[in-house]
Amino acid sequence: MAFGLIHAKPGRGSGALLSWMLFAVGIGLYIYTAAERHRANPDDRIVPTVAQMARGMYDAVLQPPEGVEAQGGNRFFSGMLWKDTEATSRRFLLSMALLIPAVILGLHMGLFPYVGVFFLRFVLFFDKIVALSLLPILFIVFGIDELSKIMLIVIGVTPTVILDTFNLTRSVPEEQVVKAFTLGASDFAVAYRVVLRQIMPRVLNSIRLNLKAVMLFLFAGEMIASTDGLAYRIALLRRHMGMDVIIPYVLWVALLLFAVDFGMRRLNRALHPWFREA
Amino acid sequence: MALIRVEGVSVAYGKPPHPVLADITLEIQEGSFVCVLGQTGCGKSTLLRLVLGAEQPNTGRILIDGREHRRPDRVCGYVPQKYSLFPDRTALDNITFGPEACEFGLFGRLRPRFYARRRAWRQEAFEYLVKTGLAPGDGHKYPDQLSGGMQQRVAIAQALINKPRILLMDEAFSALDPGTRADMQHLIRTLWQATGTTILFVTHNTQEALSLGTRIVVLAREGSGGSRIMADLDVPRPCEESEIPRLVRRLEGVSRQREDRRELEYKAPLLDG
Repeated sequence: MAFGLIHAKPGRGSGALLSWMLFAVGIGLYIYTAAERHRANPDDRIVPTVAQMARGMYDAVLQPPEGVEAQGGNRFFSGMLWKDTEATSRRFLLSMALLIPAVILGLHMGLFPYVGVFFLRFVLFFDKIVALSLLPILFIVFGIDELSKIMLIVIGVTPTVILDTFNLTRSVPEEQVVKAFTLGASDFAVAYRVVLRQIMPRVLNSIRLNLKAVMLFLFAGEMIASTDGLAYRIALLRRHMGMDVIIPYVLWVALLLFAVDFGMRRLNRALHPWFREA
Repeated sequence: MALIRVEGVSVAYGKPPHPVLADITLEIQEGSFVCVLGQTGCGKSTLLRLVLGAEQPNTGRILIDGREHRRPDRVCGYVPQKYSLFPDRTALDNITFGPEACEFGLFGRLRPRFYARRRAWRQEAFEYLVKTGLAPGDGHKYPDQLSGGMQQRVAIAQALINKPRILLMDEAFSALDPGTRADMQHLIRTLWQATGTTILFVTHNTQEALSLGTRIVVLAREGSGGSRIMADLDVPRPCEESEIPRLVRRLEGVSRQREDRRELEYKAPLLDG
């Protein structure tokens, strides 16, 4: 009955139940494992209980990071979690902004043959370099401050975005380009008002798919050489076996990435109402 | 002087070169409706793309109004079979793209006069929508919300609003059902009579060529060489009903002769062996 299985349509209720089931099983298994381990050893620090994690997170949210004086006003905004999130978000947004030139370059490479010939071979080679292997070189060249971490992301993610944009540009039917010329458009009007507009939703989708890579390189940089940020905190707490904060931090990062992805998807839909996702 | 002159044009693709068009010479007068007829793969679309300036010949040249034409520009409007509209714009915005691009260029939207002009273009675009048989409400739909026939109507309006001297149509109605195709044929003839634009219409359908063109040019492949012009006949307008079978026989006869000859050439080595 392959036909029946392929064409089956889960109902609203059963769909919701199925989609949440793995979450429920995971949470249930965790709670059970934590309870069992704490029954055997009340001082267990590897699998903290939900109550321990709540207490750890409460401190992380309201206590300032070590070495920082508690400021007056809202304790949340001077708390460790907020400060770390702020530092990571700043780097993340800067890295995302640096993807804009990558998109522009990919567009020009795909549309203007001389630009394509000039850059393509180099970008293809650059794309094959394992960015993390460059980390020591980056720290030597750019020091251990922000620039080296941003450069790591640029090296790790921009070649992929450039090549994605290049391929998307090449996939625009030639008829559209020729048509635009016959309607009086200039070379740059064709590039920005015809081709870029058409590929933009797919470019945003490509960047969405690369969000995890951006975070991966950012975390690698923060873990090795940083004094703040979410990854720095996770690396620091690892030394103290602070699983009661590490696990909520990991979930917080996942939630943040989910929120960015969701926001980009909504933005894509709002900016490009004509676009139908496959 | 002819508006379009195709002078000894040959085109070959690939390595080793595979000839597509061989020594094509053609003159098209202003205001005529010329149909290029031929079987699939005979180089009709290549000839159209050469006139468009989207492709360059290996030998020979294309002259429009006495000047060599080497890149697509506003002189020629273009209606392809597929991808004829920009998918990210509504029908109305597709039609106003041409006037916008011509008058304001890339950063036109930054100039305050743009918005006043846009109102005028949209008004004109609505008139073209109605002329091509669409309802004003269709102007706000995106191409994927329109049927194939409606899309081609918008594409024709989009090309005509710029008032090109030449309109090039590449199998523009081939993907449409027979009823819609007949409507579109009637529409393009009416628009041609009203505007006097020179039309070069590529088709593989003999009946379509006969019902539209004032002149029909038949392309067919000869042996292993590229396609040549095998027939070039004027169609009397209005075309008498009794004339049609004779013309069809003549046009299809050319194609059939070519086919028979190709078949013989193909079989000859087998028969000899």
